[in-house]
Amino acid sequence: MLEHTLPEAKVPSRVVIVGAGGFVGGAVRRNLEARGVPTLALTRAEIDLLAPDAAAKLAPLLRPTDSVLFVSALAPTRTAAMLVDNLRMAAAVAQALATQPVAHLVYISSDAVYADDANPVTERSCCQPSSLHGVMHLAREVVLRTTLKLPLAILRPTLLYGARDPHNGYGPNRFLRLAAKGEAIALFGEGEEMRDHVAIDDVAALVCAVLDRRSIGVLNIATGRSVSFRAIAEKAVALAGGGASVRGTPRQNPVTHRHFDIADCLKAFPSFHYLPLEDGMRRAAEQGMEPAR
Amino acid sequence: MTRPTVGFAGLTHLGLVSSIAAAAQGFAVIGYDADTTRVRGIVAGKLPVVEPGLDELAHVHGARLRITDRSAELAACDIVYIATDVPTDDRGQSDLKGIAELIERVTPVLGPAALLVVLCQVPPGFTRALAFPKARLFYQVETLVFGRAVERALKPERFIVGMADPAAALPPSLAAFLGAFGCPILPMRYESAELAKISINCCLVASVTVANTLAELSERVGADWSEIAPALKLDRRIGAYSYLAPGLGIAGGNLERDLATVLRIAGETGAEASLIEAFLRNSRHRRDWALHALHDAVLARKPDAAIGVLGLAYKENTHSTKNSPSLALIEALAPWRVKVFDPVVPASAAAGGHVAGAASAYEAARDADALAIMTPWPEFRALDPARLARVMAGRVLLDPFRVLDEAAAKAAGLDYLTLGAPPAATGALTHA
Repeated sequence: MLEHTLPEAKVPSRVVIVGAGGFVGGAVRRNLEARGVPTLALTRAEIDLLAPDAAAKLAPLLRPTDSVLFVSALAPTRTAAMLVDNLRMAAAVAQALATQPVAHLVYISSDAVYADDANPVTERSCCQPSSLHGVMHLAREVVLRTTLKLPLAILRPTLLYGARDPHNGYGPNRFLRLAAKGEAIALFGEGEEMRDHVAIDDVAALVCAVLDRRSIGVLNIATGRSVSFRAIAEKAVALAGGGASVRGTPRQNPVTHRHFDIADCLKAFPSFHYLPLEDGMRRAAEQGMEPAR
Repeated sequence: MTRPTVGFAGLTHLGLVSSIAAAAQGFAVIGYDADTTRVRGIVAGKLPVVEPGLDELAHVHGARLRITDRSAELAACDIVYIATDVPTDDRGQSDLKGIAELIERVTPVLGPAALLVVLCQVPPGFTRALAFPKARLFYQVETLVFGRAVERALKPERFIVGMADPAAALPPSLAAFLGAFGCPILPMRYESAELAKISINCCLVASVTVANTLAELSERVGADWSEIAPALKLDRRIGAYSYLAPGLGIAGGNLERDLATVLRIAGETGAEASLIEAFLRNSRHRRDWALHALHDAVLARKPDAAIGVLGLAYKENTHSTKNSPSLALIEALAPWRVKVFDPVVPASAAAGGHVAGAASAYEAARDADALAIMTPWPEFRALDPARLARVMAGRVLLDPFRVLDEAAAKAAGLDYLTLGAPPAATGALTHA
């Protein structure tokens, strides 16, 4: 459950984005800058969090009145080496923040921290990650929560999509790209799995809302409406004008679903409403999906 | 023996109803409470709790009922019940300080043969730990149901009595008193009786949770739980009186208390009690049904929506708002204007600058984009859906407990949303 430490929204004096070059960091940066919020956008070019002197270089850049958004990660974490590197990055950030405490810290985690069968997922669901990616985020959460005495918000987004997403994960991004090229969309099985997908603009808006209220605690970022991958694929085809096709493949793994109960978000930010998937995918298609990297 | 004189210490909900019911059975009763203001109010006929039939019963049998703020008067009693309500915190944990103080205050004045009976909800082990002669010490399960307390106090289904030696006969005074109610008496050891109370509530919560789970499934697969529940009640293994009406989570405080007690004891003893956690998860989940429904139907589309809320009490026929789903909903509607009406609970119970009280149900509905009937007060059943539709600005009616006739509401042009049935089954949703 999220708790607001500021009774009313107040623009932060400055937001330091650690990981401003990524999909989420970039979207938040654009949102903040559009609202005229002073930002210090740090990418790997400014600070390599894997460098031995990362903490020493980051700490002097911070001010006590800053809000820090920590969104940098090597993702998705697929190997043990990546896991270790991600933890080293978190350790560097934690060390810098221990040296120079700030007013507010927001960490972008992931819904991968939850047990696979935690349905519907809430902020109180059991954290029992089954993937290295989930283990990485949960370990980072614990590092930040236990080693720092800072007002901390942990945000756990589910699957994201948007025109600028450099990843090409199974879902709206890949389906929109394939459909735009008129290529066939191959589903796992018949695409029965139900998943929740969030438009990147909504993620940025919620992160900014958390920054504005200096919120603490945990909040999932999910729309509360899960849709099957087949339905998403067919939507992508329709948005592209219908030239592409959708086909099933022999199922390799059992069908699993993920649903969210977003009551906590409705209570924390009552006036915020997620973009429906259809509208978000249309927006991404109209913006034109950038090539995956 | 001659009819015993029965005392009740603590005149909150439990003690007051129990003492009036005892008087109604023809016993001389002394009701004691240290709160002078409360005692004066009761003596003046202004009962501090709302229960159907309670005022009339007190009026008719008041001659046998002496209310006092002097504990010394309990010395005249053959049996004294410790009958104060035990408050709980936000996590359902009992605060036993009040009952312990009350027992300390009462026991010195009791006669040498007087019996002490603990009637409050206490955790297993509480009664045996009391420093009072065990031959005269008893625990009795109370089964007070808010809104039906008089009925249940006058005609209990059974008495469950905890005692030091369950094989021994009940003392004549207690046997005479309990026997007057004409129901079975089940003696057992203290801990069994204390746990029996908890067991009853766990069974009730289990039924409600089953109903809530399957009602939600009904909403999602096109079934209607109101068609299914009657079929289940005709099954003898389930029963005609089983708690199968879906609701908005567990509220009122007493059920939550027992769930918290089971979890605490399971934690201390290593027993497996994940079922209880599942009950609580489901309760939290269903509590927000109205919030989800309002956002889906109105709030996501109308930033300046006005909402009417009927009912603030956690259930009908009570003034209690403990863990009330209505208050939780209203709190979560802070950005919107909310007009509220409850026949008993004042609007001030719902905190927030966005809340305004209304003089009637129709006034609460006036100009509302959506109306939520959050407490199934009997008088709300008389509301005319057509008149509601005329005074409302929007069409959305949330009636989780099916207070109004669904067909009449739909005929009035209202979008009728209820627990256990999908919107599609009750008519197409047209958003305000």
